[in-house]
Amino acid sequence: MKEKLETILNKTINEIKNSESIEELESIRINVLGRKGELTLILRSLGQMPAEERSALGKRSNEIKTEIESAIEEKKDKLSSSKIDHILKSDWIDVTLNRADFAKSFKPGHIHPIYTMQYEIEDIFSSMGFQILDGPEVETEYYNFEALNIPGHHPARDMQDTFWTEDYNLLRTHTSAIQVRGMEKNKPPFRVIGPGRVFRNEAVDAGHSNTFYQIEGMMVDRDISVAHLIFFMKSLLKEIFKREVKIRLRPGYFPFVEPGFELDINCLICEGRGCSVCKQSGWVELLPCGLVHPNVLRYGNIDPEEWNGFAFGLGLDRLVMMKYTINDIRHFHDGDIRFLDQF
Amino acid sequence: MLLSLKILSELADLNGLDPNEIALKLTMATAEIDGIKYVNPHLNTVISAKIENVMPHPDADKLTLVDLDTGKEKVRVVCGAPNNKKGDIVALATVGTKFGEEFVIKESKIRGEKSSGMLCSEKELGFSDDHSGIMILPPDTGLGVKLSELFPSYYAIQFDIDNKSITHRPDLWGHVGFAREIAALFGRKFNYKINYDIQKTFRNTDDLKINIQNPESCARYCGLVVKNIKIKESPEWLKEKIISIGIRPISNIVDITNYIMAELGEPMHAFDRKKLAGNEITVRMAKKGEKLKTLDEQMRDLTEDDILITDKNGPVALAGIMGGDNSDIEDTTTEIILEAANFNPVRIRKTAQRLNLRTDAAARFEKALDPEMCPAAIIRCYELIKELIPEAEAATEIIDNYPEKAEKITVNTSSAFLKKKIGDNIDDNRIFEILESLDFKFKRGEELNIVVPSYRATRDISIPEDIVEEVGRIFGYDNITPKPPYVPCVPPEKNEKRLFERRIKNILAKDHHLTEIANYSFVNEDILKRAGTTDDKELRLLNPLSREQDRLRRSLMPGIFTNIELNQRFHESFKIFELGRVYLKDDRKSKELAKEITFAAGAVFAKNTKDPLFYTAKNIAADLISQLNVKNIRYIPAQKDLPPYAHPGRSMFISIDGNTSGLIFEPHPKIKSNFGIKGEAAIFEINIDTLLKCSKQELSFIELQKFPEVPFDVSVLADKHVYTAEIQSVIEKSSREFIKSVELTSVYEGQPVPEGMKSVSFTIVFSAKNATLSPEQIDDLQKKVVSSLDKKGYKLR
Ligand SMILES: [Zn+2]
Repeated sequence: MKEKLETILNKTINEIKNSESIEELESIRINVLGRKGELTLILRSLGQMPAEERSALGKRSNEIKTEIESAIEEKKDKLSSSKIDHILKSDWIDVTLNRADFAKSFKPGHIHPIYTMQYEIEDIFSSMGFQILDGPEVETEYYNFEALNIPGHHPARDMQDTFWTEDYNLLRTHTSAIQVRGMEKNKPPFRVIGPGRVFRNEAVDAGHSNTFYQIEGMMVDRDISVAHLIFFMKSLLKEIFKREVKIRLRPGYFPFVEPGFELDINCLICEGRGCSVCKQSGWVELLPCGLVHPNVLRYGNIDPEEWNGFAFGLGLDRLVMMKYTINDIRHFHDGDIRFLDQF
Repeated sequence: MLLSLKILSELADLNGLDPNEIALKLTMATAEIDGIKYVNPHLNTVISAKIENVMPHPDADKLTLVDLDTGKEKVRVVCGAPNNKKGDIVALATVGTKFGEEFVIKESKIRGEKSSGMLCSEKELGFSDDHSGIMILPPDTGLGVKLSELFPSYYAIQFDIDNKSITHRPDLWGHVGFAREIAALFGRKFNYKINYDIQKTFRNTDDLKINIQNPESCARYCGLVVKNIKIKESPEWLKEKIISIGIRPISNIVDITNYIMAELGEPMHAFDRKKLAGNEITVRMAKKGEKLKTLDEQMRDLTEDDILITDKNGPVALAGIMGGDNSDIEDTTTEIILEAANFNPVRIRKTAQRLNLRTDAAARFEKALDPEMCPAAIIRCYELIKELIPEAEAATEIIDNYPEKAEKITVNTSSAFLKKKIGDNIDDNRIFEILESLDFKFKRGEELNIVVPSYRATRDISIPEDIVEEVGRIFGYDNITPKPPYVPCVPPEKNEKRLFERRIKNILAKDHHLTEIANYSFVNEDILKRAGTTDDKELRLLNPLSREQDRLRRSLMPGIFTNIELNQRFHESFKIFELGRVYLKDDRKSKELAKEITFAAGAVFAKNTKDPLFYTAKNIAADLISQLNVKNIRYIPAQKDLPPYAHPGRSMFISIDGNTSGLIFEPHPKIKSNFGIKGEAAIFEINIDTLLKCSKQELSFIELQKFPEVPFDVSVLADKHVYTAEIQSVIEKSSREFIKSVELTSVYEGQPVPEGMKSVSFTIVFSAKNATLSPEQIDDLQKKVVSSLDKKGYKLR
């Protein structure tokens, strides 16, 4: 009986070893451990054995049963994992392709870099409590000049070469035209920005365009000072450039502010050491700003005795060109997607 | 405008100031300096030195070792010149001297011998073309003296001023103004004084009178007759002076008047006294049809807005802009009238603009000059004439007609106001010091009643805010500490349109992979013609840069066609869009502003395509509209009333709230050929303003279907030109209540479907909201579908 047990064990282990499928394993299991399996029958017959043999044989039989069971499990694992291996192998694809028919590879779309910059800046200002305004691109002389303290035949009109339309309006030369419209719409105190497209009658070359983009900003409140203006400009630039930037303020003449400034930033290309971008000066002229001229407040029906404020104009093209080191402003309106797809 | 440092140094004490420092301070406090220009900058480090010894170079035949004495030290240089002689005084370029950008003198070893400088030839110094040997200086030349001092006329430093930055500062249009400013900035002495006493020598021997007819046009006119004039070339020193600021020398009198304009900023004119008819100069407005030949020999047509200087016979000068050809100085002139006047800035500007004659004089007069400069300029001019022509003599006293006296300007403010605006705790004393340095007159104290100097009082300074700027700029804006303001903390009102635009762009670019393009707002006749638009309604520019861009677009399409034309050269396929404004006017000339409507336009292009690209464009447009929750949207097949660029067999209107608000189309074959589009393209355009304002689908929950849905498949035989949507709508209408959906499953043409026909298959789903449909009901619904189709003439397959 004992020999028979050992024979079953050896035979079965051998069969398990040589089995090639889970089905085969299952039939081995049934043959040995099933209801009518060899080992099952032996175990069942143990009851008729003399007591002294019974316990030793019983113990051994159970050991063999466990051994076979675990051998089957082990082999099962092996077999099933090699089946998955097979699937995995046959499922292989060339992941370096983008599409099976590789006719049209996947090309993402892009938003124009100037607008991306505009929206980023809009979000920064929104978060600081500024409302976003719009104004017409074909403007009246009143909003573009007169209401900004630039009366007819003021020499300051030379600073902005103007496109005039045949109906004797004009293409706005700056987003400052949005200022007085903003004041007419809002009761102080308020904070507004006005982004948009502006036009100058200038010959187009790598550095100049007749069409470009600005963001006008204006804050009107009580007791606004130059110190507040500097604070806002510093916060803004830090957000845009994602780091502290050195700035300097120097006098700049714009009839709609008094005092008026040019704000320069430390050249980001050379860190202020001097390079061709900053014409060796270490500084790049970035945005004109100043305290709103009392006359402009009056044009906007705001009492300058009670209220005052600051205003600024930010050129987007220059900013985008600096950020990506773009050397020719004409790219922005060329409509060439080889350029636009880079952003 | 060019400023000469040498002239500035004559007007204020600039001794020892570094030009770079001056430029920086001016930039930070006064005006923008475009650059510093050096003429022969190396002369500042080339010095005189005496040759003490000349020895042969041990290792080179043609070289010598030269020992020099610079007065301070002994220096040895290796020299290749043939003419170095013991005892001569020569020009030594010291170590560090830069000749141009490339060539710098360094300590070096030449064939093993140390050399600490270079002896210069006249050519190397920039004096002449002589390169035959080193320059020998006069034997009495002191040692260690800079050549820039020995030869000052060859050495110059110029500041290039950005004119735009002094538009508001009439006082800065001459050297005097800048000298005054620099003196204030550096706390130096300003030396310019007008010698008014010289007038005591003037005697009236001529009875010239000056008559101003219209004081509004000419606030002041000063004239002086000077006799015994001899016209000749100016002396070298004057020529050098004016050349150094970019003025061409002509003759002594002209050079002097030009120089006075550059020095003081007051434009002057000199007439030939004998060419003037009569004894009276009249300043008056031109008469209609009057003409004047100006100095540049152009005949000018004048209008009643032009100011003229006239004699008995008519105009002799276009006031403030240019003299007349009939009264100018010539070599034979012996008597002159000097003019220094103050003209109405707006009138001068208008005339100069109209005649396109923006002379240096006009550029200054239009800034509103200080009338006090008129007599000052005459006196300075007379002084210089006396210096150049000692026998010259005033034949009149200054004839000063000053009908419109300038008012004294007083600005009332306080140090508290100034501090509040600047925002930094600048102390009162500093404020007072600054104001005093700028020549403002006031009594120190809390309240400030500030009298503005005449040269700042014409337009420049009139309100307290102007004083803020004066104090701030000299104090230095960099010295102000940034400070956050105390303001209410409330969320700003949202700009719905901007958010909407951004959403649209995100859907098109991120979901559908279109690349955004920004085209110019301008179009031109040719491109409109190519796009089939000929109604000529585009608003024109009065002063276009070119014919390429002479009017404003009414549609994004011409731009989109051009974009396709360009990009097809580089890509097999692409998708683009633009979101921008068009400018609409019914009557181009009417005064009201053009209506600006925002449109979105998208285009897809492929060189080869299996299915019509129309469906791609339609899919993008429809997805966009659906993502924007547009409620009443209809897509209507369009064959008529299409814009000329649309293909009548491949176009569809987008109708929102019952109004046509967009179009999906493939371009008309003619337009494709006009733009050389070689491939397939499809385009959509949508009015964004309509899209923003239209009614939107409110989201609300609909109970899930509880009762069974019953599908029913039908195939319909129809003429191939029948719109599938029409068949579908017949089915939908057969029983609105119980038809839950009608889905197109296939469209088939070809055997066994007869020629010219197509088979269209749908799956219809029937259901009821609150009951299970009975077999009889289902049968009835199916019959209704069939009979409705039958009524419209569609056979089932
Ligand atoms: Zn730089």
